[in-house]
Amino acid sequence: MSYAFDTTDIVLSVVKIAVVLLALLNVVPIMVWVERRGSALIQDRPGPNRVGPFGLLQSFADALKFILKEDIIPAGAHKWIYTLAPTFGLLPALTTIAVVPWGRKFFIEEREFLGRTLFEGGRWFEPVIVNVNVGILIVFALASLGVYGIVAAGWASNNKYSMFGAIRASAQMISYELALTLAAVSVLLAAGSLRLTDVVWQQSGTFRLFDTIPIPAWNAFSPAMWIAFVVFVVAGFAETNRLPFDFAEAEAELVAGYHTEYSSMKFALFFMAEYMAMTTMSALIVTLFLGGWDIPWYNEPPTFLGFILSVAAFVAKVALLLFVFVWVRWTIPRLKYDILMRLGWKVFLPLAFLNIVIVAAFIAMRWL
Amino acid sequence: MIPTEWFLVLSAILFAIGVCGVLTRRNGITIFMSIELMINAVNLTFVAYARLFGDLHGVMFVFFIMAIAAAEAAVGLAIFISLFHHRASIDVDEANLMHW
Amino acid sequence: MLEFIVFFFFAAVAIVFALVVILHRNPVVGALSLVASFFALAVMYVLLDAPFLAALQVIVYAGAIMVLFLFVIMLLNLQHVAEPNTRPVQQFLGYFASATFAAGLVYYVSKYAVLHALPPTRFSTSAQAIGERLFEAYIFPFEMVSILLLAAIVGALMLSGKAAVAIR
Repeated sequence: MSYAFDTTDIVLSVVKIAVVLLALLNVVPIMVWVERRGSALIQDRPGPNRVGPFGLLQSFADALKFILKEDIIPAGAHKWIYTLAPTFGLLPALTTIAVVPWGRKFFIEEREFLGRTLFEGGRWFEPVIVNVNVGILIVFALASLGVYGIVAAGWASNNKYSMFGAIRASAQMISYELALTLAAVSVLLAAGSLRLTDVVWQQSGTFRLFDTIPIPAWNAFSPAMWIAFVVFVVAGFAETNRLPFDFAEAEAELVAGYHTEYSSMKFALFFMAEYMAMTTMSALIVTLFLGGWDIPWYNEPPTFLGFILSVAAFVAKVALLLFVFVWVRWTIPRLKYDILMRLGWKVFLPLAFLNIVIVAAFIAMRWL
Repeated sequence: MIPTEWFLVLSAILFAIGVCGVLTRRNGITIFMSIELMINAVNLTFVAYARLFGDLHGVMFVFFIMAIAAAEAAVGLAIFISLFHHRASIDVDEANLMHW
Repeated sequence: MLEFIVFFFFAAVAIVFALVVILHRNPVVGALSLVASFFALAVMYVLLDAPFLAALQVIVYAGAIMVLFLFVIMLLNLQHVAEPNTRPVQQFLGYFASATFAAGLVYYVSKYAVLHALPPTRFSTSAQAIGERLFEAYIFPFEMVSILLLAAIVGALMLSGKAAVAIR
C-alpha cells in the first residue's frame, strides 16, 4: 500500500474532513429545532417559539440546559462502560459519512498565490473524504458498530428498562441490517462497483420513459429497484432507531430505554448520535437511490460552479429526507415488538432477496 | 512495507492468548470467545502469507473461515442457551453429560 | 513510517484487549474487548493490502457474531456469574503451558516461518478478484458453506427453539 501524499493532498483532505464534520455537527441543532417545530406543526400546536424568532435559538437553550444538568453515574452501574457508551454510539455516526461523495468532482487549475505555485499542474478535487474501492462495505461495517453504543449503555446502566432496550436493540439491529445490506446489493449489482462515487456516476443522466419523457436515471425511479428502495428506507429507519422502530427507546413501555439513566452531556451525546446517524442514513439513501449530488435534467460542468450546484443539490436532498424522518416519527405509531421482528425476517428480507433476483434478471436482459 | 514476520508474531501471541483462555477459564461463553480469538489469529496468518506469496488462496480461506465461524457461533450459542435451560449455569464443569 | 506506528499501536490494542477477554471475570466486558481486538485485526488487514477482508471482518465479527454473543450474555443474565477457583494447580499449569506455548511459537515463527528469497509480488484483493476466484476455483466449497450455514440455522433452531424446550 502506498502513502504517496504531497502537501496539497494532505491540506485538501484536512479541509474536506473539517467541512464534513462541521456540517454534520451543525445538523444536530437544526434538526432539533426542525423536530420540535415539525412535531408542533403536525400536532397543531405552536411548539417552542419563545427563544429567538420562531424559536430558532431553542436548540442552544437546550444545549445550555444539558451542560448545566448534574452528571449522574448510578450506583451499581459499570462505571467505565457507562461513561464510554455514548462515544461508542457517536463514533460510527461521525465516521460513516467519510466514504459518501457529496459533490461533483472538479478540476482545480494551477495558480500562483503569494509567490508560490499551488495545485501544480492542476488536479481533480474529489469531494469525498476517502474514495476506497470497498466504500459501501465500509459503510456497513461502521454502521454495524452503531449497536454497541446502545447495548453498552443499556447494560452498564444497571436498570431493567435500559437492559430491555439494549436486548431489543441488539436483536432488531442484526435483523434489519440484513435487509439493509441486501437492498443495497441490488444497487451495487446495477452499478457494478462497490465504490460510492461510481454508484452516483451510474445514476447521473436520464433515461427515456416510453422513449419520450426523460426521467433522471436515479435508482429509485428504475422499476428494477422500487422494492429495494422501500426496503432500504424502512430498514434505515430501523437501523437509526427512529419511530416506528424505536424499540431501544420506546418511552411508553421502557421509560426511555437504553438511556433511561443518562443525564447531562452523556445524554446529549446520545441525542447527537441519533441525529447524526439519521443524517448519515439520509446521505446514504440519497447516494444509493436518489442520484447523490446529481441535479435532474442538468449536466453539471466540471468547474467550481458545477461543484457548488451539485453540493447544493445533495444538501437539499438530504434535508428533504431528514424532514421525512421527522414527518414519519410524528405520524406513524410504534409497532409491536414481535411484529417488528416478523416484518424484518419474513417480509423485508425475502423482498430484498426478490429484488436482487429482479435486478439480476434486468441485467441479464440488458434492460439496465 | 511491514515485514511478514511481525504479523506472524502478532498472530502467534493472539493464538496463545486464546489457548490460555480455553485452558484456564470455566465460563463457557468466555471459552467460546477465546476460540473466536484463536480463529482470528489464524486468519491473520493466512492473510499475511497470502500477501507474502502474492496470491489469493489465503484470502479465500479467510473468507470461508469467517462464514464457518458465523455458523459455529450460531450453533455454539444455541448449545449454551440449551445448557443454561437445563443447568441454570454455563460453567463448562456442569456440562458433564453427553446427552441431556 | 506511518504504517509502522499504525501497526504497533493496533497490535498493542489487539493484544491488550485480547488479554482483557481472558482475564476479566465479566463476560460483557470480555465481549466488548473482543470487539475492540477484532477491530484492531481489521486494521491489520488494511495494512496487509486487504481492505475488502477488513470490511468483512468488521461486518461479520464485530457487527454480527459479537452482537449475538452480547445478546446471549444479556439474555441469560450471565454478567454476575461467579467463577470460583476450584482447581488452582490446573489453572496455574494452564497459564504456564500457554506462556511456554506462546514463547515457543513466537520464537519459531520469527526464526523459520518466512522464506526471504521470495520477490515482492503484486497482491490484488479487490472485490472483483475475490469474486472471480470464489465463483470459479472455489465454487464447490462456496456451495458447501451455504449448505453448512443452512444446517447451522436448523441446528440452532433445534437446540434453542420452543420445540427443544417442549421435548425436555
